[in-house]
Amino acid sequence: MVNLTINGKLIQAEKGEMLLTVIRREGIEIPSTCHHEAVEPFGACRLCTVEITRKDWDGWKRYVTSCLYPAEDGLIVSTHAVEVIELRRTLLDLYLARSPKAKLIIDMAAEYGITKTSYEEIKDGDDCILCALCTRVCDEMGFHAISTVGRGHGKEIAPPLNEAPPDCVGCLSCAQVCPTNFIKFEDKNSTRKIWGREFELLKCEQTGRTTITKEFAEHLSNKRDIPIDYFNTNDETHRKELAKTMGRITAWGREEE
Amino acid sequence: MPFRFIVTPRLCTGCRTCELACSFTHAVNGKPGLSRIYPIDGGFKDLYVPVTCLQCEDAACVKSCLVNAITRNEETGALELNAEKCVKCMACVAACPFGCALIDTKNNLVVKCDNCGGDPVCAHFCPTKALEYREVTDKKLKSA
Repeated sequence: MVNLTINGKLIQAEKGEMLLTVIRREGIEIPSTCHHEAVEPFGACRLCTVEITRKDWDGWKRYVTSCLYPAEDGLIVSTHAVEVIELRRTLLDLYLARSPKAKLIIDMAAEYGITKTSYEEIKDGDDCILCALCTRVCDEMGFHAISTVGRGHGKEIAPPLNEAPPDCVGCLSCAQVCPTNFIKFEDKNSTRKIWGREFELLKCEQTGRTTITKEFAEHLSNKRDIPIDYFNTNDETHRKELAKTMGRITAWGREEE
Repeated sequence: MPFRFIVTPRLCTGCRTCELACSFTHAVNGKPGLSRIYPIDGGFKDLYVPVTCLQCEDAACVKSCLVNAITRNEETGALELNAEKCVKCMACVAACPFGCALIDTKNNLVVKCDNCGGDPVCAHFCPTKALEYREVTDKKLKSA
């Protein structure tokens, strides 16, 4: 355990725990877009920047991304110092110039008092803020289907060579974690379209409803040792089957209706 | 694991009080959430089976989760889904052979029963004691 001060309050934390986790646990709200518990911290969005100092630093301060900075003994953290707020305002101003239509960015900027960017809006600016959360989640799941492509102005998230990714199974995790809902997909008549690929959705034999793609089910069955016939019916049918089985055991000897 | 969640289908009247209790206990942003327990017709006259997570030993949901968001709480013995870690790939929903990992479409969440962290509210509300959460004294059950 280590002792540190956050906004003037003495707080205990586990050694090696990241500052953002400690700050959020204390109920202090700081914005972040690229943070997700499922993946390692990345420090892409820089919005979780906080001010740190120590008693022996003679008044010197550092501005660090709290998601990447481990809690240390004697650290003095300030999450809403004037300089920190100014940093976040600049960042949000820049984000707003890049993605003027993204709801998350508009809301976050409004919270910091920015309704219109002071920079020039990018004309064909899209909602992608390049936090790379989608690619990190895809890597964590073990598919590596998409990645960041290019550098500088031309940087974007794309499958290799901008072709339909052969490693994608259509699990939709990238679209689900995207903070600005930029990744588009389409579910229609037991087919799913994402990243330019078309997947077949597994249809329940009894209800006709769909949950996951055939490719994803095959992947789970091969890699995680789950019988493939588990995926033939959906959760509703599974529940009904369980009720029927338990009912048969309970009413042993009674005549079925 | 001395405490067990015990379901006795022959006592269930299908009043669905447990569903209400669950829904209100697991409210999201002040609105009722999705119930994790369902009394379903058991195929016989007046027989309902409250279907909820069985907290399997070798669970398909745990195996199917590629980001390890479902872990066992050693204190209560329940499998708990960490909503912060979940990436909503729906693998557990499709993999659970009992259909007890559920999609809360209204709140865009995947949910499952976690025994309310060691004190299931549905058991308190069940009027006929078809749902119980008590210490298992039976030797056979204990060893299982």
